[in-house]
Amino acid sequence: MSIKRNTSKLLVEPAAVATGDIAFNLIVFFLVCASTQPDSGRKQSLPSSEKTKETQQDKQNIELALTRTRAVVSLNGDPVKLPELRGRLQRVLEGKTRSEDRVVVVKSKPDVPYDHWIAVTSLVQDVGASITIQREEEQTVTVGN
Amino acid sequence: MKIARKQMKADVPSVAMGDIAFNLLIFFVILARAQDDSHLQWQPARAEHLEAAESKVGVVIDNQNKLYVNGREIGVSQLAGEIEKALGDLPFGQRTVLLKVHKDATALYYEPVIEAVSEAGGDLLHVLEEERK
Repeated sequence: MSIKRNTSKLLVEPAAVATGDIAFNLIVFFLVCASTQPDSGRKQSLPSSEKTKETQQDKQNIELALTRTRAVVSLNGDPVKLPELRGRLQRVLEGKTRSEDRVVVVKSKPDVPYDHWIAVTSLVQDVGASITIQREEEQTVTVGN
Repeated sequence: MKIARKQMKADVPSVAMGDIAFNLLIFFVILARAQDDSHLQWQPARAEHLEAAESKVGVVIDNQNKLYVNGREIGVSQLAGEIEKALGDLPFGQRTVLLKVHKDATALYYEPVIEAVSEAGGDLLHVLEEERK
């Protein structure tokens, strides 16, 4: 027959004094994590803008007109469905090797939403063309590729 | 015979140090948040092939079409000057300006901003969310 020893069990609790320090360290940890997360996006190199009148050169460039309608854009005056735009742009750019020939003038109506503009300009950049923004008051901003 | 007065000890309890530090930290975190643009309300547009970047200058157009430079509200006419000041003499390649535009903002608001960044000689980076297929 085994005899059980009557040992007194000690209750071990973490010191309540340390709770503040634990909270402090947790906050520092999450703060550091949050602040080190970099932003990600798409780069566009921007030469200085210039105010220009509509010139003959503009007419030679590829013109892309955007409206609020997301499904269709206008490429050199022809309506093009957005899924077909990449192919059409590639065809238009075919054989154009000089960077000045691969400029796409983007004209947007004032109510064009940013996500639509980004979708279209990203596509233009992906096919290797440069973007020039033409605003209604005839100010042209070249935004590279 | 004079009876000596009993000296009372009045120490700051060291137990409270953690709590004091905790409250100080919260104070400075809130202060810091008020200076950057993380408190602004905007939703990024989506695109593919994104790259990471860091910059000293962040321009935000929030969901109410208000314009901010490094968390401070500003008018579009002052934007180019403000960006130029913030970029200072930084060399080419380090003059990145982060552009955070709410996805539903219209060309009326974001085109003048792109133009101002161009005027200030900044390298534009549109802050976007990666499109997952």
